[in-house]
Amino acid sequence: MPELNSSLANAVVEGDIDVAKKLINQALAEGATAQGIIDKGLTPGMDCVGQRFKEGEMFIPEVLLSARTMQAGMEILRPLLTEKQATAAGTVVIGTVEGDIHTIGKDLVSIMMEGAGFKVIDLGIDVKPQRFVEAVREHKPDIVAMSAMLTTTMPKFAETVNALKEAGIRDRVKIMAGGAPVSRDFVAKVGADGYGSNATAAVDSAKSLMGR
Amino acid sequence: MNTGFRSQVVPEYRLLTESQIHEFHRAALEVNEKIGMRIGCDEGIALLKEHGCTMTDNNMVLIPSYLVEECLRSVPSGIDIYNRKGEPAMRLEGRNIYFGMGTDLHNTYDVYTGEMHRSVLQDVANASRVADSCRNIDFVASFALPHDVPTNTMYIECAKTMFQNTVKPIFTTAAGLEDLQIIVEMAETVVGGAEALRRWPCLIHYSEPTPPLVHSYGAVRKLFLCADKGVPITYVPSDVLGGSAPVTLAGGIVQALAEAQSGIVLHQLRRKGSPIISGFCVAPMDMRTAVFCYGPPEYRLTISAFCDIFHWYGIPMWSTVGSDSFVMDQQAGMEHAICTLMAALDGANLIHDVGYLGQGLVGDPAMLVMCDEIISYVKRFVRGFDMSRELMAIDVIQKVGAAGSYLAEEHTRKYFKQELWQPSLINRDDLEVWKQKGRLTYGQRVVQKTIQILENHRPEELRPEINEKIEEIAKRAEKGLAALHFVA
Repeated sequence: MPELNSSLANAVVEGDIDVAKKLINQALAEGATAQGIIDKGLTPGMDCVGQRFKEGEMFIPEVLLSARTMQAGMEILRPLLTEKQATAAGTVVIGTVEGDIHTIGKDLVSIMMEGAGFKVIDLGIDVKPQRFVEAVREHKPDIVAMSAMLTTTMPKFAETVNALKEAGIRDRVKIMAGGAPVSRDFVAKVGADGYGSNATAAVDSAKSLMGR
Repeated sequence: MNTGFRSQVVPEYRLLTESQIHEFHRAALEVNEKIGMRIGCDEGIALLKEHGCTMTDNNMVLIPSYLVEECLRSVPSGIDIYNRKGEPAMRLEGRNIYFGMGTDLHNTYDVYTGEMHRSVLQDVANASRVADSCRNIDFVASFALPHDVPTNTMYIECAKTMFQNTVKPIFTTAAGLEDLQIIVEMAETVVGGAEALRRWPCLIHYSEPTPPLVHSYGAVRKLFLCADKGVPITYVPSDVLGGSAPVTLAGGIVQALAEAQSGIVLHQLRRKGSPIISGFCVAPMDMRTAVFCYGPPEYRLTISAFCDIFHWYGIPMWSTVGSDSFVMDQQAGMEHAICTLMAALDGANLIHDVGYLGQGLVGDPAMLVMCDEIISYVKRFVRGFDMSRELMAIDVIQKVGAAGSYLAEEHTRKYFKQELWQPSLINRDDLEVWKQKGRLTYGQRVVQKTIQILENHRPEELRPEINEKIEEIAKRAEKGLAALHFVA
C-alpha cells in the first residue's frame, strides 16, 4: 500500500489528525500491520517534518501539530504492538526539576521525542529528585531528561544525578539536561550524558545516546 | 466567530498640526511672491511671465500665490510606476511607502575583500542585481558612479546597465538635457515606444534646483523634458541648514518649500497634469567639519514636516534614508534603522538612498541586503495588527487554561505567520547554535548573504533584440556626446 502510506506521511506533515486516523483505520481494515503503518507512514512523515524544520521551512507550531498527529496515530496502533515493538526506539522519563514550574520547553522536547518514536513518560513540573528515582525503577527508561528554566533551579540537575547514584541506578540510564540558561559545559559538569540547546537538538542527542 | 466587528490597530504619526501646515504653506507662498526665484533658463522665464509672473531689477522672478496654488492643484495626486515588463510596481500616492536606492556614490566596497575602491560600472551592475533579488527594494538606482566610463555618458551607461540587470523600475539622474534624452529613448525602447513609456512609466528621473532660490538652466530643461515626455520626475531642493538655507529648521523648511513650489509651477505650466514627485531635503551641515549630514535627527524632523505638507497638498513625495558612517558598522545600522522607521511613519511614497554610506560618498552592496531586512522589520511594525473576537482569543485562553501551553494549538498555527515577523539574517539562534555557526556578527552574515546573491541570483534578461538596440543607443551616445560640455 505505498500510496496510502505516503498519504499518511503527508497527513503527518500537514498535521491533519482526522485524515491520519482515517487512513490508519483504513489500512488496518485492509490488513496492514501496526508496525508496517508506523514504518511506512508515521515515521517517514515525522522524518520529513524534522528535516523541514531544520531547513527553516516549518515552524514550531506546525511541528507540534505534526507530532500530535503522530501521537494520535500511535494511540490507535500501540495496543496492537508487542511490548518490544512499542519500546524499540527507546523510553524517556522527562520532567522539569524541583522548584521550577516552567513547562513549555519541557513539553516541546517531550512532544518532539514522541514524534521521533520514543515512548515518553512525562513527570510534569517541579519534579523532586526522588520522583525521578522512583520513575526509573518503575518504567525502566533508557533516558532520563531534566529541564530547568531558572539559574536558581539548575543545581537540581546535580542533586538528581546524585540521587540516582545513591539509589544505585545511575548506570542503567543515560541522563540528559537542558533549558534556556543551560550550557553544554554545565551539563557535563553535573555528570549528565547529553544536552540539546533546543528541542530538535535534544532529540538528536537522545537518538545518539541510543546509538541511532 | 469569524464575522462581525474587526478593527485595525496601526501606528500613526504626524508632526505638524493643520494650522502649522497652513502657516508654512503661506510663508513659502510669500517667499515666491515677494522674494522670488532666479531662473537660469530664458524659456522658463518666458513661460512664467506669460502666466503673470514678474521680474525684479535683480533678476528674481516673482510668482504670485494664486499661480502656485493653481499649479499645486494640477499635479496628479497619484502616479503609477511599472517595471520594465509593464507590470504594476508602485502606486505613489497616499501613505504608500516604496524603497529604493540613490545614485552617484563615488566609492564602493568589494564584498569579497572588504576593500573600498573608486566605483566602476560593474558596481552598478552588482548593486542592480542585489537589489533585483531583495523583496523590499522596489526601485533601482545606479548606487555607484562609474569612473571607468567617459564622463559624458556615465548616466547613460548606468541606465543601460540597470535595464540589463533588473526588471524593477529605474530611478536615474542625468548630467544634462542631452544625456537625459538618450536615457528616455532607452526606456522607450525597453517598454515599446514613447506612448508606452507615457502610459507605463518604468523610469523616474531625479533632478534638483540649486538652493538658495535658484532653478538652474539644466534643471529647468530637465523639468521641461520630463513634462513633455510624461516621465515622472523627482524635483527636490537640497537645502543645507546654516549653509544654503537658514540654520533654523523652520527657516530651512520655508525656503525649501518655496523652491519645491516654484519647481512644481515650472513643471505644471509646461504641461498641466504631468507627474511630479516633490518634497525637499533640509539637512544640517556639521558645524565642525562642514559635512552635509545624511543620518541626523534634525533631518528626520524636516522630512516629517514636508511629508505632512505634501500629504495635505495631495502630491506624491520623495524621502530619503542614509548614514554618515564610512563603513557598514553599528552607526550605519543605527542610522538606517531610525531613518527607515521614520520614513515609513511619515508615509513617504518614494524613499530613496537605501544603503547609502559616508555622507553620500560610499556604497556597499551588502548594505542593500541589510536594509532589505530593516525595511521588512519596519513594514511589519507599521502594518500594526487586527482586532476581533477571534483574534482576542478568549476561547483559546479558556481552553488552554492555567499553566498550559499555546504552542500546539490550532489557533497558534493558524495565526502565527500573520502575527509574527520572521527575520532572515537577524540572530534568533540560541547561544550554542550561534557558537557552532562560527560566532558571526550581523554584518558578517549580511556579507555572506550578499555574496550568495551575487553568485546565484540571475535577473530576468532583456530580450536579445532590445538589448542590442540599447547597446546601439549607448554606442551612438558615446560618439555624439563626446565633445559636449553640459550646462548645469
